[in-house]
Amino acid sequence: MLATRNPIDIGLNIQQVLKTIGYHGNCTPPARTMSLVDEYLENFHNLVEPAYSYVIRDVEWVQGPISFIRDAVIFKSQVIARLLEQCQKVVVFAVTIGNHLEEMVNQLAEDGLILQATVLDAIGSSAVEKLAEFVETSIREASGAQDLSTSRRFSPGYCDWNIGQQRMLFWALNGDTADIRLTRTCLMIPQKSISGIIGIGPGNSALESYNPCRTCKKRHCPGRR
Amino acid sequence: MTEDLISQIMENVIQGRVTRDDEGLDEGIVGQPGVSELVQEAIASGIKIEDIINQGLTKGMEVVGKKFEAKEYFIPDMLASAEAVGAGMEILEPHLTKSGIKSKGKIIVATVKGDLHDIGKNIVSILLRGAGYTVKDLGNDVDTQTIVAAVREEKPQFVGLSALLTSTMTNMGDVIQALGDNGLRDKVKVVIGGAPVSAEFAQSIGADGYGADGFKAVAVIESLASA
Repeated sequence: MLATRNPIDIGLNIQQVLKTIGYHGNCTPPARTMSLVDEYLENFHNLVEPAYSYVIRDVEWVQGPISFIRDAVIFKSQVIARLLEQCQKVVVFAVTIGNHLEEMVNQLAEDGLILQATVLDAIGSSAVEKLAEFVETSIREASGAQDLSTSRRFSPGYCDWNIGQQRMLFWALNGDTADIRLTRTCLMIPQKSISGIIGIGPGNSALESYNPCRTCKKRHCPGRR
Repeated sequence: MTEDLISQIMENVIQGRVTRDDEGLDEGIVGQPGVSELVQEAIASGIKIEDIINQGLTKGMEVVGKKFEAKEYFIPDMLASAEAVGAGMEILEPHLTKSGIKSKGKIIVATVKGDLHDIGKNIVSILLRGAGYTVKDLGNDVDTQTIVAAVREEKPQFVGLSALLTSTMTNMGDVIQALGDNGLRDKVKVVIGGAPVSAEFAQSIGADGYGADGFKAVAVIESLASA
């Protein structure tokens, strides 16, 4: 188990944020948008408190859509079962950038400054995504050093993995949830948080390329990878 | 003078400029009056409120809608224009009743139960206000019974529902079902929107319309209003 609130430098580049707010391809945003994004990128560090927590557990058995993880953690999902049947271990993680940034977004929206709210919200989304990537990369590197493969990230609420399974996932974290709490409908507070699992299996296995989207018929799914 | 002021309001909506301090899309216009100053000037000059809204704000936003559809404008450009319209409407608000301007209709908007995302809903609300509708925003994570109670009390012509998650979009169907159970379904038109939602999904839950983006949501409501 590793839980930390140590400062992590979340470096964001402007292109990432511009893509999140809808600019794509070769289009050049107007100077006004560029200066707004620049201004917020310079200052967003004061609004984020990166924290993450993860635990590595043994996968005990998989049958049908049920994956049984050590200490009675049970995941119910066909997609997750297909992943975990290739794994010896599973990492359960949660990351957050805290709630200051979203408080500021809400304040801007209340003041009618929707453009500013949207830009800051996009920066928050990019930042929490970057933090999840940081955790994923750390796990991949540590696993690689032991000649093990890792999968991509999977989160409850996507594919056939019901969002209600957040409770099981948070339980698996042994109470150290990086100060993220769940609403009654299993959404995370602060909102700019990501939780999920990463599978760990034998080196050079097909695990790394496991992508259920390739055979999924939901072509317009917003989570498609 | 009148036409000049109104066309300046329209132009500044297109440029997305709320005040004289704002940059527009074109260079070199900082310092020139924005929508707020121009609307105030138009009111002081005795220009009909209806003309300020229809020929200035709404017409400007129609141009923005076309540019957005043609991919000349992106979301931030549209939002800057929506903000300008919102600022203009706020100044005009106290004058609407005095001028005998009637709302085109009342709309209750809400992000459904379990979902905390509300930026998309807020954008649609601004666009609807700019188009002449009265909007009652119930906020996010709104449970079905609260929406039903608001429909009973406010008697709107429309309900706009938003969801950003595949896990919460099904709650839109619950709202439509509950409106039916409470004898209110034939009294309101329900329009839905949000990233995971589609026209097919709207049809499957019995919604009256689906807005793929803010402008399309307004267009759907306009067409339902005139049907």
